[in-house]
Amino acid sequence: MITLENVTKYFPTKKGRRYILKEMSCTIPSGVNIGILGRNGAGKSTLMRMLGHIEFPNSGRIYSEYTFSWPLGLGGGFVGKMTGRANVKFVCRLYGRSALEIEEIIAYVKDFSELGDYFEMPIETYSSGMKGRLSFGLSLAFDFDYMLIDETLSVGDARFKKKSKEALMKKIENCHVLLVSHDMGTLRDICDAGIVLNEGKMYYFSEINDAIAEYEKINKKGQS
Amino acid sequence: MRFSVSRSGLFWTFFEPFMQVMVMVLIKVLLFGGNNTLFDFSVFLALNFTAYNMFKNILTKSMGSFKANKGLFVYKQVKPIDTIIARTLVELFLTGVIILFFLLIGLFFHYDMAVQNLPLVTLGFLWLALFGLALGIFMAVGNTFYPSLGRTLNIIMTFIMFGSAVFYTLEMLPQNIQAILLYNPLVHFMEMIHGNYFLTLSDSFVDYDYMVLWTLSLLYLGLFLYRHLEERIISL
Repeated sequence: MITLENVTKYFPTKKGRRYILKEMSCTIPSGVNIGILGRNGAGKSTLMRMLGHIEFPNSGRIYSEYTFSWPLGLGGGFVGKMTGRANVKFVCRLYGRSALEIEEIIAYVKDFSELGDYFEMPIETYSSGMKGRLSFGLSLAFDFDYMLIDETLSVGDARFKKKSKEALMKKIENCHVLLVSHDMGTLRDICDAGIVLNEGKMYYFSEINDAIAEYEKINKKGQS
Repeated sequence: MRFSVSRSGLFWTFFEPFMQVMVMVLIKVLLFGGNNTLFDFSVFLALNFTAYNMFKNILTKSMGSFKANKGLFVYKQVKPIDTIIARTLVELFLTGVIILFFLLIGLFFHYDMAVQNLPLVTLGFLWLALFGLALGIFMAVGNTFYPSLGRTLNIIMTFIMFGSAVFYTLEMLPQNIQAILLYNPLVHFMEMIHGNYFLTLSDSFVDYDYMVLWTLSLLYLGLFLYRHLEERIISL
């Protein structure tokens, strides 16, 4: 169970505060895969990061006793001047892996991410897709209660997409995901429940299809 | 990760302090003539610049540390202050290597490098590093919310070297100027280091209580602010 208590989160802009959440209280039940939906800029990624305790609300509290992965997205989480291999090693050490385990993880990530020679080159030479592949491959080597995924499943060519989806499906037999995506197909495939974020409020739906319907309603309202 | 960009980074790490010392020795010899101090002026400058550069690098590297390592805060294990501590340790290590480099040059050219009190000189370096770390934490937090603070400090830092007993000893100055400069904590650190290094100098100007006061107050203030603003720094 993830509990939000009077959570307010905003970003200061020149035109005043832009609220992502405004005094929201809510409980998210455990044991489900959750998709986060919302229009561009509604704060989906921010909400995901807050649930994963790597960003903090301006007021209020978020509790849970789960372990969360780092957000798997297209950027961030790597030291640009170090090679892919060195970065993998760095993360392994953060999670307290032994030298032997690190060797195994490096071999696995190198194989999975299909980076070839780039694995030995600095991250700053990578394209965003390559970073996403490395980040995703690396996350598969660790066990979390929740994986935070930010649009990463759309990385790579069709074959790699299929491979990563298969790997993720296998992974989520033992863990759960918080997924930010604009792709309704992916959301339906992976998620059981959904959160729709709109104008400072979040709505929890225990059925992903209800969440998608609500999201589409909001989208239509925005267009008209 | 100071060297991984290019190999020239490694070269400049050694060459820059070396050039600083060479240029200052040259200026001094041209203005005041050679061999009129009670100690070897080249060794004096090498010692002081190494110490001062260490302090300056710890401070400036700390200030930019939160922004530069923002990407790493996605790992819950990495706290912003870790990046400052890591950078300070790297600078300490580099300072050690630079000291070795100067020692080798000194041995090769038979400079008189006799040390009066090695433990106190070492303590001086480590204490100065701690002082830099304390000021660094304070400035890093301040700089995050008020970027003009960092810019101001950068300007001050270029001037403060002249008032920090880096290329002279306090003894050489008139008394009224001594009194003013002694408010600058850096003067005490530099005097502690070269006063305890050279057989012909002493640390009689150094007020160790004053140094403790500065270090502890800055460390307290920096850590206090950091503790209260840590979540906001991560969320930036």
